[in-house]
Amino acid sequence: MSLIQAEGLGVRFLFDRQRNVVPPTLARLRRRGSENWGLHDVSFTIQSGDGVALLGPSGSGKTTLLRTIAGVLEPDAGRIEIEGRLASLLSIDAGLLPVLTGRENAQLLGVLAGLSRRQTAAALDGIKARSGLDSHFERPVSSFSQGMRARLGFSVADSVDPQILLLDEVHEALDHEFRDVVEQRAQTILNNGGIVVAAGHDHPMLERLCNRAFLLVDGSLEDDGEFAEVQRAYLCA
Amino acid sequence: MGIDSARVSTRAGAPIRVARTKQQAGALDVLMALTVADMRVRYGRGTRRLLKWLLDPFALVGVYLLLDTIVLNVSGEAPGLSLACAVVPFQLIMSTVINAMMAVTTRRTIILNMAFKRVLLPVSSVLTESAAFIASLTILALMMIIYQIAPTPAIAWLPLVLVVNVFFALGFAYPASLFGLWFRDLRNIGISFVRTLFFLAAGLVPLAQIHGRAHDWLRLNPLTGLFEAYRSVLLFGHAPAFWELAYPVGCACVLLILFVPLYNHEQRQFAKVVE
Repeated sequence: MSLIQAEGLGVRFLFDRQRNVVPPTLARLRRRGSENWGLHDVSFTIQSGDGVALLGPSGSGKTTLLRTIAGVLEPDAGRIEIEGRLASLLSIDAGLLPVLTGRENAQLLGVLAGLSRRQTAAALDGIKARSGLDSHFERPVSSFSQGMRARLGFSVADSVDPQILLLDEVHEALDHEFRDVVEQRAQTILNNGGIVVAAGHDHPMLERLCNRAFLLVDGSLEDDGEFAEVQRAYLCA
Repeated sequence: MGIDSARVSTRAGAPIRVARTKQQAGALDVLMALTVADMRVRYGRGTRRLLKWLLDPFALVGVYLLLDTIVLNVSGEAPGLSLACAVVPFQLIMSTVINAMMAVTTRRTIILNMAFKRVLLPVSSVLTESAAFIASLTILALMMIIYQIAPTPAIAWLPLVLVVNVFFALGFAYPASLFGLWFRDLRNIGISFVRTLFFLAAGLVPLAQIHGRAHDWLRLNPLTGLFEAYRSVLLFGHAPAFWELAYPVGCACVLLILFVPLYNHEQRQFAKVVE
């Protein structure tokens, strides 16, 4: 049983006079700049088996919402509740450190994703096989293409056997072969009662994965409904 | 699977609630993974790793030591060893501060992609630098050989002195991390400030050779106690005085009490700031 439930969710960004983001403690010390709510009063419930696409123009809050669900950002208002093991692929870099090899990155990210060191060590061969990187797995990530990085990032994320999968446009950097792998995996998660939340501009792929969509505009949830219906509202806006 | 809940309040007083399925590896696993990755970034891989680990401290400390003993011609009992008793422990503090200042920004890609125990980042900086610090102890041994100073039973105190040194570095790690994140343009000034602390302590000459008000003033610097503790054990062959260990520990405790809660509060905002 997986669940994502948000009520009155808000994420605020504070800026100094040079428009740099500053943490609240520093904002109190410096002369106050401006503020912007990246998410404002967002409420929803995502149940087991839901595939949700986040639609909206750039800067509408899609990434902020995914990061808040992933726990990367903590809300400044409202509440969020998540039930289920979660895996996220929120940037092309996927948390990879360029100096380290694919294997060394997998050893680090596996633990940070929630596995113990022993479990991560045991999962390394599976990660290597799933990523399809072969001998590249032993080379520094700095030599990887964006697609190879996304492959490795996804394979590590998948090693925690997620019940909730978050994808932020990263799948769009993948080659067609691995896209199919990601789609199949996402479909398996959904069929097993999990949740997939994906943002991006590849609407045909989102439509295949998601039965539902959110339309975000300026950090607010403007529409929540069936994918085709919300997509139409977005494209007509 | 349990639910990990946290309740905090906004300035306006509206309750915020975050509840999520516990999914994080143990703190020790996370700490080890971060430190091992940091060490690999630092020392690379393969056979040259050991050589680099052993030679790095000499590059960092040895040249400085030669300059002070030969060029400045510092006098006194075994001046090279006396100086090493200050330079070696200070190098741990200095390198920890530099590492901690970069700890958040260098892990930007991880911070933006996944939730983990970010409060462990400064501890990881200390562990990485402590591993390098172990190699620099060979300099102390080398100096003892050069000056023909045999170890006494007081050397049994050395492990405790080392622990105090590492703990003192930990005290610096949390404020250094926040400073490095908040004031990225001022990192070099922060590093210069810490370096200045060395010269405001009994670093170049032992406290026993300093008299008058300067003697009293230098004792206020916790680094003086730390340096003197090394000298007591390795150079003078007696147990360190109580204040030499207690004062640095007390200062580190104050720093940790002040900055760990602040860091813990601020780490919630890291992903916004490093974007």
